This record gives sequence, C-alpha cells and structure tokens, in this order.
Amino acid sequence: MRRLLVAAGLQLSLAACTLGAGEAAAAPVAAAPVVEKAPAGSVEITLDQTRVETTVGTRLSVTSRMVNTGTAPTDPLVAHLNVASLDGVYTDLEDWSADVTRSVPPLAPGGHTSLTWQFQAVNTGNFDVYVAVLPSGPGAGQGPLVVSPPLHVKVAGRTTVSAGGALPVVLAIPILLGSAAGAAWLRRRRRERRN
Amino acid sequence: MTATVDRATMPAETAPRAAAGWRVVAAQEFRELWVGGRGPVLLFVFSVLLSVVTYLAATNQVLNFLERREAVNLTLQISVAVGALVTLIVSADGISGERERGTLESLLLTPVSRRAIVAGKLLAAVSLWFAAFVVTVPYVWVLGRGVSIFGRALLLGLLVGSLLSLALSALGLLISALSNSNKVSLAVAFLLLLALFAPTQLPGGMPRGWFGDLLDAVNPVASGLHYLSAVLVTGHDWTRDLAYLTSPLVAAVAAGCILFLTADRLVRLTGGVSAG
Repeated sequence: MRRLLVAAGLQLSLAACTLGAGEAAAAPVAAAPVVEKAPAGSVEITLDQTRVETTVGTRLSVTSRMVNTGTAPTDPLVAHLNVASLDGVYTDLEDWSADVTRSVPPLAPGGHTSLTWQFQAVNTGNFDVYVAVLPSGPGAGQGPLVVSPPLHVKVAGRTTVSAGGALPVVLAIPILLGSAAGAAWLRRRRRERRN
Repeated sequence: MTATVDRATMPAETAPRAAAGWRVVAAQEFRELWVGGRGPVLLFVFSVLLSVVTYLAATNQVLNFLERREAVNLTLQISVAVGALVTLIVSADGISGERERGTLESLLLTPVSRRAIVAGKLLAAVSLWFAAFVVTVPYVWVLGRGVSIFGRALLLGLLVGSLLSLALSALGLLISALSNSNKVSLAVAFLLLLALFAPTQLPGGMPRGWFGDLLDAVNPVASGLHYLSAVLVTGHDWTRDLAYLTSPLVAAVAAGCILFLTADRLVRLTGGVSAG
C-alpha cells in the first residue's frame, strides 16, 4: 500500500513538474505580443462621390478612403482603379488614367488613408469607376478583394468644332493672304518691267 | 535691305536725329519685307499651315477627340513655333544676305549707327511674328469659342511668342553677322531651330529624369510651349508656372544685349567679329 502511495505521489509530482515545465516553456510565447494579421476583408473603402455627369475629354478626380475596421493591422495593400462600361463600350483603362495602381502601407486598427485618383473620361456612355483593394504582403493571393461602391460616370459627347463652322475661316484667310501676296508680286513685277 | 537708304532722307548727325536712324532703317526693312513680297508669301504659307491644322482638328476623328482646350493649345503652339521660326530665318538673312547681295557697303556708308541698323532689322523681323499672330486670331477663335479660354490663349500666345521671336531674331542676326556666307548663316539657323524644337516633340509621358527637366528649363522654346500647355490644358493659374518664362525672357534679354553691345564690331563687310 505504501509502495502504491509512493508511486502515486511520484506520478503526481512528475505530473506537476511536467505541467510546470510546460507552463514555463509556454510563458515566453504568451508574453510576446501576438500579431495577427487582419484579412484584407476588414478594410472598408468609400468614394467621395457617387454620381458624375460630364462630357467626353473632361478630367475628373475621385478620392477613395480606406479604413481598417478590423482589430489587427492589415497587410501592405494595393489599391487599383477600375473602369467598367455599362453599355458594352470597349474601355481601355490606360486611356482613362496613367496611374491606376497604388501601394498602401499596412493600416493599423482603426487607421485610415485616402487616395486621390485622376482620370479623363475618354469614351461616351455610362461607366462605373471603382477602387479594388487587395493584400500585397504575405497574404498576397489569399485575401479577398475589397471593392468600393461604384462612382457612376455618365459621359456625354461634346460639341466639337464642325467642319462647316471652321470652313469659312480655313478657306478665307489663305485666300485673302494669297491674293495679297499675288498682288504684291504683280505690282513688283510691273515696276521692274517699267524700270 | 538693298542700298536704298537715301542719304537725303537721313537725318543730319545731330544727337536727337541720329537716334531716329533706327526708325529709318526699320521703315526701309518693313518696306522691303512687306512690299517686296517676302512677308506676304511667308504669311500665306503660314496661314495654309494653320488652316490644315484647324481643319484637321475640326474634322479628323482622332484629332477631333482632343478636348477643345487641347485643340486651341495645339494651334497656338504651332503658331508660336512657326512664327518664331520665320523670324529666325528672316533675321538670319539680315546681315549675311546684305553682304552677299553687295548692299551692305552702301548701308554702312549711310549716317546711321550700326546699332541702329541692327535695331531696324530686328524690328522688321519681329514684325513678321506680330503679323503671324494677327493671322492666328481667327483660327484660335474658331477652335476656342464655347470654351472660356479664347482671350487667355491669345494673351499668353502673344506674350510667349513675342519673347521667343525677340530671342530668336536677335540670335539670327548674331549668326548672320558672324557667318561668312548667307548659306552658312541659314544652315546654322536651321540647325539651331531643330535643336530647340526637337525636345518639344518627345512623347509627353516619357520619363526624362532631372537632366531632361533641366534641358527643358534651359531651352526657351520648350519651356515657353510648356507654359502654354500648363495654363491652357492643365488649367493652372497663369502665375503658377511663371518660372517657365524665365528661359525665354533670359534668352531675349541676353541675345538682345549681346547683339547691341557688339553691333559696332559685328556689322562689317566680312563675317566674324572685328578686333576693334
């Protein structure tokens, strides 16, 4: 019986030692700050406008505001401006803006940043302009895309200079000047002949 | 200028009358340029060029895509550039041409100071720019009506074009005085023109670095045209990019000063600078 008690006591003390050692081993990990990366999905993006009506060729700008609504810092992010035609018009993003991709440093919890995008409405029709944000750090390729609400851009054609409107000036000025030059030449020639 | 400066019409050599010598030379140069036929022909060619550009801007699908402000800017830039080009060519013929036609000797015998000769020739060359500017007005009006930049475009075009024309005319006269033949003078003037205009033809979005920016800032033509674009197309306030006008202003003042200070030694029967 005593042997059993001693054996039980040893096992308990061993178990206690093991637990203590385990706690001691876990302690440094628990003491270090646990940094959990928030998924990019905890970022919210808003645009400062929702609707714009303009004419083709006009330069516009829109500001996107990104807020980290999570409880942990985000990965470094990449923000991308996009333009989608709602009428099926072929849209070449490069024509709209030369600056469509921006890097955004990690956002602290509750932190925010704003980016201003400038673009030129180069097609006529209805378009949605929006900003997508995706992680570019260790979470690249894993995080979900976060997309802003769209800015609806209605682009009307503009009144261009019509050929008919320009024609009088385009023809009249050279004819007038040509006549003047011709008259001066004739007068000079007549004078030379007389002399 | 052919040897038609009549001694009888020249003022006597009193100080106030001698100061009017430049007016006599300028009047004679004006007559030769405008009545002689060279000015009207150059202006006619200039108007044909502007007509083609304006018609393309109004009808061509690709150019028509340009915003009106850009069309106005394009036409104005061509006007300023070609106007300055024409003044450079006319002034490059100013002294070396007289030498080759054998009329410089007669001109030097008239009681007009050499500075007055240079001043008269400079004014006549610059008059070509002002005539070109007047021709430009209806084209800019056609393209710019409806957008509120017509008046501003004209004022800026006049300012930049006048500075560039003054600078290039003075340079043209310097080249002409230093050249041994008219052919050399015109060739050097053309080369200078190409060197000044080439940077303006580089694609706008091309990264050029600090050296490219420096070249742009030093080049009076590039910086003058850049100023026009910044105000007319980008919509900057006219005071914001005034630094771009430094180069055309410095070029005009420097070339003018050098021309007038060295006129006594430059205007002579052989090319180059005389010792005395």
